[in-house]
Amino acid sequence: MKKLFLYPAALYAEKEATEIVTILGSCVSVCLCDNVLNTGGINHFMLPLWNGQGLASPRYGNIAIEKLLEKMLYLGSDIKNIKAKVFGGAEVLETETINFNIGKRNIELAFNTLVELKIPVISSSVGGKFGRKILFFSDTGEVRLKYVGKTNLNSNT
Amino acid sequence: MSEIKITDELLLNELTKRFDEKEKAINELKSITDELKEVNAKLTASEQLKSHFIANINNEIINPFASVLGLSRSILEVKENDWEKAKYMARLIFVEAHNLDFQLKNIFAAAEIEAGRIYPQISNVDIANLIKGVLEDFENDFKSKKLTPEIINNVNIEQGKFIFHTDPEKLKLILSNLISNAIKFSKGAKVVITFSQQENSTLVISVRDFGIGISEHNKEIIFDRFTRIDTGINSLNRGHGLGLSVVKAFLELFGGDIKIESKIGEGSLFTIFVPIPDEITDIDGYSSEGNEVFFMDETELF
Repeated sequence: MKKLFLYPAALYAEKEATEIVTILGSCVSVCLCDNVLNTGGINHFMLPLWNGQGLASPRYGNIAIEKLLEKMLYLGSDIKNIKAKVFGGAEVLETETINFNIGKRNIELAFNTLVELKIPVISSSVGGKFGRKILFFSDTGEVRLKYVGKTNLNSNT
Repeated sequence: MSEIKITDELLLNELTKRFDEKEKAINELKSITDELKEVNAKLTASEQLKSHFIANINNEIINPFASVLGLSRSILEVKENDWEKAKYMARLIFVEAHNLDFQLKNIFAAAEIEAGRIYPQISNVDIANLIKGVLEDFENDFKSKKLTPEIINNVNIEQGKFIFHTDPEKLKLILSNLISNAIKFSKGAKVVITFSQQENSTLVISVRDFGIGISEHNKEIIFDRFTRIDTGINSLNRGHGLGLSVVKAFLELFGGDIKIESKIGEGSLFTIFVPIPDEITDIDGYSSEGNEVFFMDETELF
């Protein structure tokens, strides 16, 4: 199976069955899976909302979720068959005041956006004090998760 | 059974507490509303700039293409012994083509970033050589503004070469943008490029120009997409206002940073910090880096 490490601010959704690994601190990943077409996709966002600064990239939750769904629909999924899983958003050591409660805000944004889009969240593991390493199988939608206490886990993951 | 006594004092305290909380909530709401207004204004501006961008493409892409086509046709018609003339026109073609290539690279980089499709492609990079290559690409621009590039190497090189582990294509585009800006806004006689390494780790490259400088307000917005400081119709400077937003996004991908020091009328100093990338070699292994402490042996399934 194709393997991929998903960097922060990136997103991935392709027809090909892929094993995707990503490491989450205060960042959040939303996995979307379609068990009819057996396809899935995942994003990894760092901040909840794009504030008009820099590029409109999936570094920001509102853009990351919208773009991931767009990609799934482009690959032929029916929105009725799409289900979501949400991970991450841990409280990691805050270095900057602007990142205050960033994990919590990322989680809220993810759940609120998915409610608005009427995509059911079938499982999640969010918050807490530890980072997560997740392995996502895009064909089955299965997620394997391990908690990591990473010494240099920072606001970039 | 214990009895709860309600005294006046307790009641008053509770009331004051609740009033304070309410006031706090109102203040918070106010600041959030202000923030929202600001973002809204920014997004409206961004949308306008986007339409401006599309209109700009005509100037920035179609016109250079037309001159490349015209010039190559002229070269084809040059008489056999008029070698110098052909060389002159070939140089003009090179300048236009290099400029187009640079603009398109920025546009595609921005599009890839916005699509969430960028990954670092790390290899061993000879930094001095990479900087030299970028400067060679801009040789004509340096000449036409009568500028001299100056490279200061602050790295202790023992084996002749300074090799750094990074993504060469992305670093090249970052430097091209910084150098292109330095040339554009320069009024002095030189552009100084310095590179060094912090304690055998982070690569630090700075580009200094002696130009018009950047105001405090502009420092805040230059990394936003489609922002051009110099947008007048008579502007001699070309570009789409994507360069620095690409620079910033690439540095974020690297886990790096950029700093600006600038004074109006005196010039600007852009410094980039590129850390050594984390080794992400093992994807299927579940205990890769040594600095991860697993405290749960079992994997949870979702």
